[in-house]
Amino acid sequence: MISLNVKKGYRLKITGEPPKELVELPKPSHVALLPEKIPFIKPRLKVRVGDHVETGSEIFEDKRNTRLKFLSPGSGQITEINFGPRRVIKEVVIKLDNKESYVPFEHINKDGLQNIDRNDLVKMLSKGGLWPLLRALPYQDIAPTDKVPPQIIVSLGSSEPFQVSPEIYLDGNTDLFAFGISVLEKLSNNNVIIAANAEDKSRLPDQSGRITHIIKGDYPADNPGVILYKTKTSAAQNNSWFINTQDVLLIAGLLKEGAYPTGRIVAVGGELAPHPGYVKTRIGAPVSHITQNENNKIKSRCVAGGIMTGYSIDKKSFLGFYETSVLILPEGGKRELFGFIQPGFNKQSYSRTFLSSINRSHLNMNCNMNGEERACVACGSCAEVCPVDIIPSLTFKCTLADEIEESLSHGLLDCVECGLCTYVCPSKIEICTILQNAKRSYYKEMSG
Amino acid sequence: MTNLLNRFFDSQRKYFEPGAKLERLNALFEAFETVFLATGETTSSGPHVRDSLDVKRFMVLVIVSLMPAFFFGLYNTGYQSNIVSGLSPDFMSAMTRGLRIVMPLVIVSYTVGFFWELLFAAIRRHNISEGFFVTALLFPMTLPPTIPLWQAAIGISFGVIFGKEVFGGTGRNFLNPALTGRAFLFFAYPVKMTGDAVWTAVASSKETAVDAITAATPLSLASATERFSSIQDTLSGSGYSFMKLFVGNYPGSIGGTSALFSLIGAVFLLILGIISYRILIGGIIGVLATGILLNIVATEASTPWFSLNPSYHLVMGGIAFALAFMATEPVSAPDMNKSKWFYGFAIGALTVLIRVFNPAFPEGAMLAVLFMNLFAPLLDHIEVKIRLGKRIPNV
Ligand code: SF4
Ligand code: SF4
Repeated sequence: MISLNVKKGYRLKITGEPPKELVELPKPSHVALLPEKIPFIKPRLKVRVGDHVETGSEIFEDKRNTRLKFLSPGSGQITEINFGPRRVIKEVVIKLDNKESYVPFEHINKDGLQNIDRNDLVKMLSKGGLWPLLRALPYQDIAPTDKVPPQIIVSLGSSEPFQVSPEIYLDGNTDLFAFGISVLEKLSNNNVIIAANAEDKSRLPDQSGRITHIIKGDYPADNPGVILYKTKTSAAQNNSWFINTQDVLLIAGLLKEGAYPTGRIVAVGGELAPHPGYVKTRIGAPVSHITQNENNKIKSRCVAGGIMTGYSIDKKSFLGFYETSVLILPEGGKRELFGFIQPGFNKQSYSRTFLSSINRSHLNMNCNMNGEERACVACGSCAEVCPVDIIPSLTFKCTLADEIEESLSHGLLDCVECGLCTYVCPSKIEICTILQNAKRSYYKEMSG
Repeated sequence: MTNLLNRFFDSQRKYFEPGAKLERLNALFEAFETVFLATGETTSSGPHVRDSLDVKRFMVLVIVSLMPAFFFGLYNTGYQSNIVSGLSPDFMSAMTRGLRIVMPLVIVSYTVGFFWELLFAAIRRHNISEGFFVTALLFPMTLPPTIPLWQAAIGISFGVIFGKEVFGGTGRNFLNPALTGRAFLFFAYPVKMTGDAVWTAVASSKETAVDAITAATPLSLASATERFSSIQDTLSGSGYSFMKLFVGNYPGSIGGTSALFSLIGAVFLLILGIISYRILIGGIIGVLATGILLNIVATEASTPWFSLNPSYHLVMGGIAFALAFMATEPVSAPDMNKSKWFYGFAIGALTVLIRVFNPAFPEGAMLAVLFMNLFAPLLDHIEVKIRLGKRIPNV
């Protein structure tokens, strides 16, 4: 086992950590797919309102590569297809019936896996709708079906606040996980990195033979991009793939059972979550179902994914394909009198400029910007926290000046989009968003 | 209270919004409003929560750190003036006198500087950066107490315009604006900026213009020290013990004489993590190392400066103030850590060298900082290049 020490990063001490208790939710009445929330794809619908679908029926495919299919996580009827501005497909809503009928897929056992041709395996995964769970760095687009990755990174980490701890979903699933890892080994010619956080490791079921890297460090030390940055020895590895650990179980389930798996364990956290904890539910379940009737009286924000990297989502919407957490945070927005000269015993800060630096407890936070946007004051905090040694203040300035070559040489593509630089910036510059957009537009340019 | 203010600002905002009459003064409105009420704006993209620190607090803390030196400066300016003018040197009268001399300069610095800030903010349609409020306080603290107000006005104007705005405003400037203004005055009006007479304001100028015995500054005493005698002896002969120099109770610029109070401010900023210890310690090492080096090469024939105990360099003239508050100013200092060491070291070393080899520029610290400001981008560039060379490329 290799030890990785990630020195830069930051751990947010924020209230609302969900207790590690798993509750199984009843079946939701509806589920949905959110094509809009899957980066880069150009969806082509395969269904119309009124169609009946089974679990595993094709709902849409990616026009860029029609081998990328997205399947229904339940049986029932398509009741709504909602479009956003410029006819972006936002939601395809399925009203579930009680039949639970499903499309049968090929299945395979351990021995079969040893002998199967890699191409057939790729075919099984893409037909089974789970290929999109594999994604390629540095752009985090879906992995290309026609390439062999230099390696696949599986991170058992959950260092972003309020994520599902790996021991919860691995509990009782160790064999399935091992099977999933064998699938990844087959796909990558035995180049799989399995990384766990040092502090989680003792709680994990016996996987020790499987774990290759132990990570020490604060958020986002266990991000696959950071693991890659810390381990890579050549530029050829830049296009490594990664997959979320829970999704390894989905892939294993699909291949073992021959049916599209629909289960998801989702963390529900945040200061205002009425029932914080972990819930077992279905892919694409309604947000209100997952959070169990959120109290709508207080001004709150619902976030799908992490507090740093997630996106805010309407409470009436559904959980996306990749997300495994829902957070409910106070929206904030109250104006504070003489806010900037308060001693701030309860004000979270990376800096040491508030009394909170001697306060060890977890603090309440809302979504206030906590300041107005200003020019960069060269405080250097962003470079101190960047886990992949970018100097965000310089890189974002190059990016804004359209000096893309320059920002690439600064390591733009190594940026894991963790959001820490934006978080710490006293000038309230949206550094991470600027870099993210630059990466994406460069990618679009490159791929024509 | 909050509600009342909220309602007041909400009712006034319409006059400053785009398209409204006072649209161009939006920066003024924004600056004024956010002093009272923190923004209520919430995040529109991830990360959903943000750090509590903003530029306002950052700059307010710098101003707080300047307060010990500022108040000592008030006292010292008044004290020195009262002594020479034959008035009572007790604390209260020294303070009153100091206030009378210094406050007009501070007010001029803020109003004239703010006028330019606002003008550029209106032209460029951006907000006023709080960094200005630090600049406008630092600037008068570097001045001799006798400077005419109109010169102070020109100095701060030059500092804001040519030290900052011509480069595109705060964040893009590579010179320290306060020092730029100060250096401009130094070269434009040398009579008012150098010589022993300028460092002490004499009570009523008419009667004393001829026969006032103004006290010499430690630096000029040191430079005037005869060959073969020691600067320490000359200084202590004039009543300047090391302790007195350290505390800063001698004629000099308004806020820049006290190593002690500069140190207090610097330690405060270091504890809060606002300034870089690398620059500060680099600077101190630079001063001491150069001082020691000069000691080593000193011969019988060299000037007394060569054999001065290096620690004296740290307590004379503006070096302590310059290292604590000018060299560490983040925008004009290098961004990279090794460059910061080098930058600090070079400022310290240059200050001593200027003192020793060119006594015509007694306030070498100020020039050293400005000079190194010019090199900060280059230092950064070199260090970034080296650092990028170590990266596994990803394109
Ligand atoms: S540049 Fe910012 S978002 Fe990107 S990895 Fe560094 S800290 Fe994270
Ligand atoms: S955190 Fe913000 S203000 Fe500080 S150096 Fe980075 S970009 Fe500039």
